Order: sequence, then C-alpha cells, then structure tokens
Amino acid sequence: MAKKKNGWGRKQRAVVVAGIRTPFVKAFGKFLKLDSIDLSDIAVKSLLERTDLSHDEIDSIVWGGVILPSLAPNIAREIALDLRLPASVEGMTCTRACATGLQAVTLAAAAIERGEADVVIAGGSDSTSNAPLNLPQKAVHALAPLAFGKAATPGDYLGVLAQMMPITDILPKMPKIAERTTGEVMGESAERMAKRNEISREAQDEFAARSHHKAAEAIESGRFDDEVAPVESPEGWVHADNIVRGDTSVEKLSKLRPVFAKDGTVTAGNASALTDGAAAVLLMSEEKAKALGYKPLAAFRSWSYVGVDPTDQLLIGPALAMPKALDRAAMELKDVSLVDMHEAFAAQVLSVTKALASKGFAQVRLGKSKAVGEIDEATFNVHGGSLSIGHPFGATGARMVTTMANELASTGAETALLGICAAGGLGAAAVLEAV
Amino acid sequence: MTDLLLENENARRLVKTLGLPIPVPEKLARSRGPYEERPLDEKKVLVCGVGGLQHVLAQVLTKAGAYPLVLGTSDAVLEPFVGPGEAWARAPRRVEPGEAPEGERVDAIVFDGTGLETPDDLHQLYAFISPWIRRLIRSGRVVVLGRPAADAKKPVRAATRAGLEGFTRSLAKEIGGNGSIANSVFVQEGADDRLGPVLRFLLSPRSAYISCQPFHVTKLAKADETPPETHVLGGKVALVTGAARGIGEATAELLAAEGAHVVCLDRPADDGPCSKVAQRIGGSTLLIDITDVDAPQRIAGELKERFGGVDIVVHNAGVTRDKTLARMKPEQWDMAVDINLGAVIRITDRLLSGSVLREGGRVICLSSVSGIAGNRGQTNYSAGKAGIVGFVRALAPKVAKKGITVNAIAPGFIETRLTDAMPVAFREVARRMAAVGQGGKPVDVGQAITFLATPGAAGLTGETVRVCGGALVGA
Repeated sequence: MAKKKNGWGRKQRAVVVAGIRTPFVKAFGKFLKLDSIDLSDIAVKSLLERTDLSHDEIDSIVWGGVILPSLAPNIAREIALDLRLPASVEGMTCTRACATGLQAVTLAAAAIERGEADVVIAGGSDSTSNAPLNLPQKAVHALAPLAFGKAATPGDYLGVLAQMMPITDILPKMPKIAERTTGEVMGESAERMAKRNEISREAQDEFAARSHHKAAEAIESGRFDDEVAPVESPEGWVHADNIVRGDTSVEKLSKLRPVFAKDGTVTAGNASALTDGAAAVLLMSEEKAKALGYKPLAAFRSWSYVGVDPTDQLLIGPALAMPKALDRAAMELKDVSLVDMHEAFAAQVLSVTKALASKGFAQVRLGKSKAVGEIDEATFNVHGGSLSIGHPFGATGARMVTTMANELASTGAETALLGICAAGGLGAAAVLEAV
Repeated sequence: MTDLLLENENARRLVKTLGLPIPVPEKLARSRGPYEERPLDEKKVLVCGVGGLQHVLAQVLTKAGAYPLVLGTSDAVLEPFVGPGEAWARAPRRVEPGEAPEGERVDAIVFDGTGLETPDDLHQLYAFISPWIRRLIRSGRVVVLGRPAADAKKPVRAATRAGLEGFTRSLAKEIGGNGSIANSVFVQEGADDRLGPVLRFLLSPRSAYISCQPFHVTKLAKADETPPETHVLGGKVALVTGAARGIGEATAELLAAEGAHVVCLDRPADDGPCSKVAQRIGGSTLLIDITDVDAPQRIAGELKERFGGVDIVVHNAGVTRDKTLARMKPEQWDMAVDINLGAVIRITDRLLSGSVLREGGRVICLSSVSGIAGNRGQTNYSAGKAGIVGFVRALAPKVAKKGITVNAIAPGFIETRLTDAMPVAFREVARRMAAVGQGGKPVDVGQAITFLATPGAAGLTGETVRVCGGALVGA
C-alpha cells in the first residue's frame, strides 16, 4: 500500500472556531443592491477580519445557496477570487433548500475529519431580492432565431411573434417558493400541516410572538454583537437584523389575515419572511486550531439528513432527522442542553414538536417504544429563530451553528440539537457539543 | 362498441332530462399510475362495528392517508386510533351512532363484524350502516369484515358470520347505481396482519369493478417479510399468456408499472401485437402455442435459462368455441377445454416440478363468470373455466409451504373484442345486469390480477375473485 500523504484519510476532530453573519434584512430593502455573492464576500471578509486568520492557512471554502446566481453558481470560488485569497483556496457550492447552510458546514466538518483539509470556511447566503426573473422557456426558444441572427425576412420575424402568443405565456413569472413536483406553495403546505396536526392560530401566534421577543432581547443585550457584522450597503450602514419586532404581541399578530387559505391560520406574522443575508463559519481540525492559538467553540457529535414524501407533510422532516441524529450521538432528547429549530412557519415548528412528543409517532414512524420527548421551553430557540431573525435560505443553517456554538462556549451548556426542515420534503439535524 | 349511456354526454343528459326510466350508470373512478404510498390520501373512512380489528384498521387507514371517523358512544372507541393518528397526522373523530351529522359525507365505510356472535348482533349492520348509506360519495366503498364461518365451532356463530356475506352482496346491488361497491373480507384468526394490503386495495379506485365479493384472508401461504407498498413488484419476473391484447395486454402493462419484468407470451401468429406490447413496457416476448405438446417444457426452459425462473404466472390465454352441445363438433369441445384448462394445468405443473416458479410465487388463472354461472352455448368453455376454480382451490394448500399462492380471476362483462361481437340487445342487458350498471374494462381485471400478484396478497390463496361489477349471474 502506498504511503498516505498530507494527512489523507487521517481521523481528526473538526471544531467550530468562529462564525459571523451579515444582519438579516427583509428582501427588497437595504440589501437590494447586494447580490448573493456580494453578501457572501462581506460575511467571509468579516469572519477573516474578526478572527485575524492568515489567508495562507485556508484550504477551501464550502458555500451554499438556494437561489444560485445562474452565471456564477459556484459562489465559494467567487468569494475566494473576490477577496483575493490565495489561488490555492479551492471552493465548491452545495444546495439543499433550507438545510443548505448546515449542509455546507457538515461537508466542511466531514472533509476535515477525513483529513482532506485542516482549515475550511463554510456557510451560505441568499438574496431573494436578486432572484433572477427567468424568461419562460417558450419565449427563449421562440426568440433564439433572432438572437442567433438566423431570421432573415419579415416573415421570419412575424413567425417569431406568432409563437409568442398568448402574451401571458412569455411574460417573466414572479418567483414563488413552490414545490416543483406538486406546484404547492410552501405556505399552503404549512397550512395543511397546521390543519392535520391541529395547530391553532393562537398557538402559532403565541410561538411567533415568543420568537420575536427572544430575538429582540438578544439583540438589545448585545448577545449577537459577536456574530453579526455591520454592513455598509449602497443604502447606508446596516447594523442589525430588521425583521424582528420586539413590540409585537399575540393580540397584534391575531389581527393579520391568513395568506394561503380563506379560513386558514398561516399569516405573514407566523411565517418566516423573504430575507437577504449571508453567514460564514470557520472550521478547523482541533490540532490546527490549537496550533494557531484559537479557542474552539464546539464540535459535531452527529448529524443526519432525511427525506419524507413532499405530498404528505412537506416540513415534518426534522421530526425524523432529530431523533436520528440523537441516535447517532447515542443520546436522548432529555440529555441535550439546548434545542434550536429552524422556524419556517410556527405551524411547522409546532407540528414537529407535537410529533416528537407523541408516543404513537415514535412507535409507528421511529420504531421506538416511547416518545422522543417534550422539548423544555427554557432550552428551546433561546434567542429566537427564523420567524423573527429572518431566513435567507442558504444562510440559516450556518447562523444556527454559530449561535449554538457561541451559546455552548459562553454558558457552559454541553450539547445543542439542531433541526431544519427543507423544501422537497427534506429534514436535517445535528448535535453540537461543547469543546 | 362504446357504452352510450356511459361515454356519450348528450345521451346521458337526454335520458336524465326526459326522465326516462333507464338508470344512467355512474362513471367509475379508476386509478392512474402505479401503487401509491397513500392510496386513501385525504379520504374519510367511517369505521363501525364491534370486533378485534380496530388496531389493524387504525394502522392501515391512517398510514394510507385516510381520516378515520369512528362510530361509538364514548371516546374510548378512539383509543386505538390516537397513536397511529399522531404518527401520520390523521386525527380520528368520533361520531354518535344513529342519525349521521348534517353535511357529513364519507368516502368509505368499514364495518368490523369480527365480534358478532348471534343473529341478533347482525342488527348492528342495520343500525350502524343504514344512516350512512346516503352519505357515501360516488364510487364509494363498503367493506364488511368478519371471521370465516367455516372456522366457527358453534352453528349459531357460523350462521351469524355467513350472514355478513349475504348482507354485503345485497347492499352492493343497492349502492351500485352510485358507482359504489361493497365486498366482504373474512379474516382467519391469526391472519390479521395480512388484512392491510387487501383493505388498501379494496378501498382504493383499483377495485372499481369488484363488487359483491367475499374474500378470505388466511395464514395458509408462507410469507415472512413486510410487503412493499409501492413499486410492489420490483425485481419480479412475470409471465403473461395471451399478452398481445385485451386483458393480457392491460395486465402486462400494470405488472410492468409495478416494476416487474414481464414476459409476454402469445401464439407465433400474434408476433406483431405481442412484440409491440413487450417493447412498450420494456418486457420480453415469448412466442409459443400453449397447446403444443412441448409448450410446458419450452416455457419452463426459456424462463429458467433467460431469467433464472419466474415469480408470477398469469394464465390469461383463452378461447371460446360456442355451440349448443347438440351441435358442437368434437374439435370445438377439445380446443376450448384444452386451452382454457388443460394447458393451464400442464404449464403450472411443469413450472412447479422444475422449481422454475420461485418461492413466494404467484399463480393467477383466468376463470370466467359464465364458467361459474353457466351460459347457453358454452358447455365446453364453462367446463374449462369452472375447472379452473377447482384447480386453484386444490393446488393452493399444496404449494402454500413455499409461499406460493394460487388464485383465479373470473371476469364478468368486460368491454373487449369478444363482447363487441355480441348482439346489441344481449350486450345491453349484460351491461345493465351488473350492480354498477356497466361493463368493466380490461384494466379492471388487470388491477385485480396485479393485486393478487403482489407480495401483500399473501393472505389470499385458493380464491376465485369475480371482477364483474356485482353481476346478477354467478355466485
């Protein structure tokens, strides 16, 4: 057998050293002029500045995005080039709907644990404000002869025009978060889940209000100062997340109208908003971190990704992924110190927590004799979540890893369980442990 | 020939507007595409009766996507349904016996009659189901569950159990006009876990043209693993005789859609259409005349050599040589009996003796309602087709240890080339004699065959299932 070189195949522990994100800003607002790559550049630049990391130490960048810029989808490489990092800093970009950010981070951890790299920057970004409005394929195909100069006579031009009818077929379509296979908008899926799991409007509004209050507290207390870097946009400086409403209340939220069904319960208030933002996490091998003098915040004990039938309960994935990650970490829900769940919709979070607390669910779906358990209110989404902080799709996972890693390091808590639902019926989870 | 009253909107409207005393048949809901994870997605199923199958019903219905509506006087009846309901987010609801709640409609009614002991208990059938019959949607389903009468030690219990079958048959005739069907399922003690797939099938649109039928779920045939719910025939090899057209063609398509590799067999003269079917479904062609002396050996040899064996055998090839007995020529007799019965037995025997038919195999033979009921001019055909009924009943226990099941399908009036050739008046009468007031389609027979071919149908063996829309003739 040939001798292995440069640590290839060596087992080493990957640790989270730091994490930084841009403020999360409501789409079509102050980050309008910053596209997904710009936001990524800013997040990674801030991370490098705050950690004072020598650029030569970076092996690679693993990035994630959901609405990828079609002309340069490998954002990771664009970041390296934009920031003039050494040409050797290679990069790849992954996509896994709302679990993208976590996917990028666990890919980085896996690469380090495999001995493939020692220092990796991982994260994700999305700019809903810069989602390309695609011309329908019909228009593209009809216009092709003109674009490539093949049309010669007026007749040809008329022919092209004739193909464009009716006009509504060729107008650019507004982007919407709809399932490709079912055409169902995600809010409709959440609405159906609310109904099937009997999650009331009041419970959803209460959960949303709680999320806002927790996030507002965190911002006010300066808890996020270490993990949010101010951004200078063409519209001026942005210092903090701007979706959070500390002054909201169940009463105010209860006045909003349901959006996805007439007699529905899902409103703009208890659903996450379209958001622009980016988040970056610095991961290293434990040895390397020590050698460079960094104090690691946390490490991964396990992670898991699952798929469920998107035509059934689109966003129930975490109810399967979280127990799986716990199993892999040889833990029970009651053993974890903190639980952080992505809040796509209050209805989705409450459906998942209900399933986790159900003995029937555990028996039938997980093959366990007792329920996974009830999540302790005091340990659950302690600084709010996507409902209040916002949800740039690709960035959310990296945000959650950062917040929980900091929480473990600063409070002395031992472990944190993460759970994320994603389009396509995907679910993701991870167990972080203090280092 | 198309059924005017079914296919022609103008004719339907005309009959309805003029108020002619002709019942207009309801268009039957049918399944499109392969087996789904949740065949009962979003359906409301009324569960009533007193028996021991509540836990099985709770598991099966909620997993299949249905909302159980449980009839009972206290919330205790919901208990078996709570856990599975939470698992699949299909919360059960309770309804009081008696008058059905205003505006409430159901897609299916399942009556658990496994706890009935005396004829007085049969009153439950009336009390529970009667208020809900008008609340059953079009193409609705009624399934009455019981224990087999033959297993009852006390005559009074046997009588009660047998009563369920008669009730179901008559109810089927009453709801057929609505496109709805009713069937009874008798579950042997200890075979409860084999009920699920049967129930999923009977409550789904796949059973559109099966009505008035009793099914017997037994633990006779060996089966160990949990059967798949989708792509149910993945990795299986199926032989379909007479695959060039009609029922054979429809069956081959359905089997292939579930993942089976289908070997389409037909006479060498039918090379063209047979190859076309095989090509369309990604199967293989085998051109053999099944009445040839060496046919069983050649079929067994080809299957063994090319596919290492076979899992599913569908004996669909058949002929009619109709003449009254007095006028029938000897070759007409011989041909009809040999193709419809003799060849079936010879081929099956050869496949079994050479172990070409693998463990867990499925044999499905085509019988015919006219074989069961008798039909003028078909003494030869009926002898063959009734012989099939005896064949499957006797063979089933012999091969049960190997997990092989043997069943027959008896189609009623199915719209094919054969029935197109019938005189108009006869055809019209035959169609309207069915409880659902119309002829079936080859795909309806194909669906029944495909279901019997699945691993989930392990509980059914030795049965003859009529696919006749609840026809008046036959039993």
